[in-house]
Amino acid sequence: MDRRTYLKGIFAAGVLGTASFSLFKWFDLNKPIDASALWDKKALIAEMAEMIIPRTDTPGAKDANVHTYIINVILNCNPVRQQHKFYYGLEDLEKYAQDQYGKDFLKCDASQKQSILEHSAKNAEYSNRILNKINNKLLGQSFFSKLKSLTVEGYCLSMAGATQGLAYDYIPGKFEACIPLKPNQKSWATK
Amino acid sequence: MIYISDKSKKLDTYDAIVIGSGISGGWAAMELCKQGLKTLLLERGRDVKHLQDYPTANLNPWDFKLGFNNTLEDRQRDPVQSNAYTPADKHFYVSDADHPYIQEKPFDWYRGYHVGGRSLTWGRQCYRLSDLDFGANLKDGNGVDWPIRYKDIAPWYAYAEKHIGVSGQKENLSQLPDGEYLPPMELNCIERHLSESIKKNDQHRLLTIARVANLTRGWDSRGPCQNRNLCSRGCPFGGYFSSNSSTIPAAMATGNLVLRPFSIVTEILYDEQKQKAKGVRVIDTITSEVHEFYAKIVFVNASTIATAGILLNSTSSRFPNGFGNGSDQVGHNLMDHHASAGASGAHDQFADQYYKGRRPCGFLIPRYRNLHDHENLGFTRGYNIQGHGERQEWSDKVNGLAGFGKDFKAQLSTPGPWTVWMAGWGECLPYYNNQVTLDHSQKDKWGQPLLKIDFAFEDNEKKMMDDIEATCGEMLEKAGFRDVATFNYHKRGGSTVHEMGTARMGHDPRTSVLNQFNQMHEAKNVFITDGSCMASSASQNPSLTYMALTARASHFAAEELKKGNL
Repeated sequence: MDRRTYLKGIFAAGVLGTASFSLFKWFDLNKPIDASALWDKKALIAEMAEMIIPRTDTPGAKDANVHTYIINVILNCNPVRQQHKFYYGLEDLEKYAQDQYGKDFLKCDASQKQSILEHSAKNAEYSNRILNKINNKLLGQSFFSKLKSLTVEGYCLSMAGATQGLAYDYIPGKFEACIPLKPNQKSWATK
Repeated sequence: MIYISDKSKKLDTYDAIVIGSGISGGWAAMELCKQGLKTLLLERGRDVKHLQDYPTANLNPWDFKLGFNNTLEDRQRDPVQSNAYTPADKHFYVSDADHPYIQEKPFDWYRGYHVGGRSLTWGRQCYRLSDLDFGANLKDGNGVDWPIRYKDIAPWYAYAEKHIGVSGQKENLSQLPDGEYLPPMELNCIERHLSESIKKNDQHRLLTIARVANLTRGWDSRGPCQNRNLCSRGCPFGGYFSSNSSTIPAAMATGNLVLRPFSIVTEILYDEQKQKAKGVRVIDTITSEVHEFYAKIVFVNASTIATAGILLNSTSSRFPNGFGNGSDQVGHNLMDHHASAGASGAHDQFADQYYKGRRPCGFLIPRYRNLHDHENLGFTRGYNIQGHGERQEWSDKVNGLAGFGKDFKAQLSTPGPWTVWMAGWGECLPYYNNQVTLDHSQKDKWGQPLLKIDFAFEDNEKKMMDDIEATCGEMLEKAGFRDVATFNYHKRGGSTVHEMGTARMGHDPRTSVLNQFNQMHEAKNVFITDGSCMASSASQNPSLTYMALTARASHFAAEELKKGNL
């Protein structure tokens, strides 16, 4: 490691130490997460996913059963450390709801939920790209970015999301290389 | 599947044996069968039948419970293969845990052990090499001179192209000769724009549609391609060429083929008296029994690294260092293209234009470096650029779009700006020290020594990557792209899955393994026509060259056999 990288590391560790809410739980991070505990958060995850991709004139995240997708991917495909980060993120968010409004997130009204999720979104990323990179590497993607990217993925790959929220072309047949965009044209679900 | 219980030598004896059923082995089998030779095609993995063994080919995205994410278990078991596969095509990759190898330096060895091999998952790009490539070693002194020139292989390129069906555009370039093409796929708006800009700014460069083995019209009872872009799952329309969809059925139709899956070739057997190969030794992976099969000629098409392994493992008093290895070149000179460096950018024009369908290929900017002497670029040889243009979709946007809710959803589901991503596929020189050896201290579950791969890119490749970044960035800037970002992914060796060079062709038996007909210098009835025969890597995707060389060698072998020379 050269000196510059080393100093960057020290600097990052200092900043992350104060900003990462789950760093103190570092030592728990290597044990696998309890799957049933995460499944217990299904309603909470579903609610937040729906806030990210709400039902409009097209289906929303709940219609597409995105919460099930998110939990399955977290449990089966994410490293243990990332699983914890996600789970603690949920706990932190619930705690924040209690601290701010004295009730469960799911019992909060729409504007309270909105401000809670905005708070979470605000804390999701450092404005500094290098810090983001280091933070993601050390601790995994932040809770909110993970939730958001899995919501998008789960929705856009779902039947409701792909065929109604987006445009899905099962067997295109012909390739039309340059065609005028139609009014309200949705983007293609698959590449 | 066949099982041979009869020990009589007659049933175990064929005119020809082909080891490996991938893209070149399938060709060898077809050509030998068509020449009337009773041919045994050996494949170490399972059978994969065209159409019926493509379990994911018709699935929708929502049929995959975990999307296209691999599980933690997948990644632990298959640390290399899982970088390439997804749940949609995982069944066409080996398990690293079951098929270990040793990485002396980081090297990704992607494999498909089943009938058809990697011809099911290949990138389908079909480019001819030119005399710029065949003459390069002689000219700059790297490696040994190719014993052939373009005129020797040109008719066989045409022969191969006419069989497999290649869509493409003729461009009349000396460094990238034209072939026999079906109608080309089409460039989209942004690609046309980039093409025009390149043409305007540099008379030595042009952008053309990729030349691919995807059928733009029906061909040989297959296709046409339906523009689904799901090729690596196997195509239910036979829209692209693979051993499974084409050469193996054609070989089968002659009545001369015996296909034997689950058969690991451990050795080529040498006949001391006749000074030729007499056959092969095989482990049946179902019964664990060892069989010997005999033939007048043997084609080795196990893939570059595995072919080297078989040769090195076939020792005798005549060949203490490995079969046909008097030159001590077997296993050496391993090459892989580098495809790490490039550039991307976005463009604000054509906001009212889109496309329909998923074209299964991108574009090509043929080689434009070192076409002439004295370019003084600090590196020898060259690269071509491959890339594609598209409008940003949800997967490109998810990380860049702030916020959440209704507006976020609306932005997510509309086409974003046009972008182009492009990268250089670069030539890798043949270095003696880049090599495959056997480690006899470690064995696989069949008791066979593990292959050890020791490979690194050197200074010439690294300098070329810097030049790729610079020229790609420049071409995008000149075409009015914004947010142009150049990159070098520093990918591991093997990542381009173009391994070549471990049993090279050459004039001289002291410095090469094969002659101008891919015939082993030291055992005239053994032919090697997979990537291991390559004396240099050029920068073109190599499969078409393997197919052309295989067809050529197969005809030569059959003629020699008829003449009684083998």
